[in-house]
Amino acid sequence: MLKLFKLLGNKRLFILLMGLILFIAIMGFTLGSRAGLSWPEKFVKDTVGFVQYVFYKPTSYVAGLIKDISELHALQEENEELKIALSHYTRDKARFNWIEQEYTRLQNDLHFTEEQKKLYKYDWKIAQVISVNDDPVNQTIVVNLGSREGVKEGMAVHSSKGLVGIVSRVSTLTSTVKLITTMDARDPNSNGIAVTAQGKENSVFGVIESYDKKSGTFLMSRIEDPKPLAKEDLIVSSGVGGVFPRGMIIGKVKEVKVGEFGLTYTATITPAASFTDWKELFIVFPEAESSE
Amino acid sequence: MNKRRTILILLLFVLFILEGTLLPWLIPEAWETRINPHLVYIAILFFSIYEDRHTGLILGLCFGLLHDVVFYGAMVGTYSFAMGLCGYLIGLLSRSKQTPLPLMLIFVITGSLLFDSIIFGTYSLFGVVHEPYSWAVMHHIIPNVFVQFLFALLIYVPLRKQLEIITKRRSPEEKA
Repeated sequence: MLKLFKLLGNKRLFILLMGLILFIAIMGFTLGSRAGLSWPEKFVKDTVGFVQYVFYKPTSYVAGLIKDISELHALQEENEELKIALSHYTRDKARFNWIEQEYTRLQNDLHFTEEQKKLYKYDWKIAQVISVNDDPVNQTIVVNLGSREGVKEGMAVHSSKGLVGIVSRVSTLTSTVKLITTMDARDPNSNGIAVTAQGKENSVFGVIESYDKKSGTFLMSRIEDPKPLAKEDLIVSSGVGGVFPRGMIIGKVKEVKVGEFGLTYTATITPAASFTDWKELFIVFPEAESSE
Repeated sequence: MNKRRTILILLLFVLFILEGTLLPWLIPEAWETRINPHLVYIAILFFSIYEDRHTGLILGLCFGLLHDVVFYGAMVGTYSFAMGLCGYLIGLLSRSKQTPLPLMLIFVITGSLLFDSIIFGTYSLFGVVHEPYSWAVMHHIIPNVFVQFLFALLIYVPLRKQLEIITKRRSPEEKA
């Protein structure tokens, strides 16, 4: 016992132990959901965010220019594809307008409440990426929209190709996005996303809970009936549960197999978003919240 | 404190900014999710060896905390803890301020292995990651070591020169 006290008398060891306790306390306290950031955190985040913005914008511009020049030969091909896509779009637009009008008319006839009408309406706001942290375990990016524009924790973030992440922390001018590649079913702080297949919304149901870092795919579990699900089906979020927005593109089915316990099926999904070369992203605001 | 030192620390901040903004564009796309070099940390190792291990500790804690707050994903404190501890321990390894290049590079390799391992250890302790350690070694720790090694070679001459000027200026003051 006396030896132990002598050992503690060693100032350096004492400081080290105190530091260890302090850090474990900080980590434990900041792990998981918090009511909001404290003001020093917000201040540091916003100040650094501003400087990062000044640096990131010209860099991404130059990098984009170089990439564009190197891909110049593919331009004609791309143009051709875009023309086809545009013609599809104009045709679908006319159909969409009819369906939408019909839909609102039916909603009015059936006396939907304002809340119910706004349920699946979303406002996509464009956000500029200002810095990237490629830590493989805890990959995050910072975007230049914050609580001033009404961003809240848990909002979905979408790139031009697919869902990329969820807003994890918000300060006044910037917010940090945690990528969905950090999803983990065993982590109590990460929520699963209810998904379905595009075009088969009524027959496919599953939950995306985790991302397999080794193979780079999502695992869609709890599929009861795998028959309608085919390879290359586009998986989108279904909005069941009402928390996560509907219609976020997640990826394509790679393989369907029997799940862990043999009762349900599991599908591996190749992500639609690339998780590299960040430029602009969209933060998805639920209409009901942004009008408040 | 002298002006040169303040400028060096400001440059460290610029390096931190570049790490988050410029670096992701320089790394090839296929490697982007695997290589995550901690350039600021390598520069801090130089401070801790050629100046003082306590400087390494303080700088590590501050820049680690900065990284934690700006890129706040899972929790605050991992980088701060790992950078501070490694900065101090690597400083403890070298007793003389005249560390030659080969020895310094060995310190950089040890330091980067230690740093990434501590971070991975903390994350698995708190249940943020469930992959085995062998996965982490092959996936990002080894590639990181190579990039950080190259960066250390790049900054060795200018940074050591500057740090030696600082310590030389200070040592007569301390004697007097």
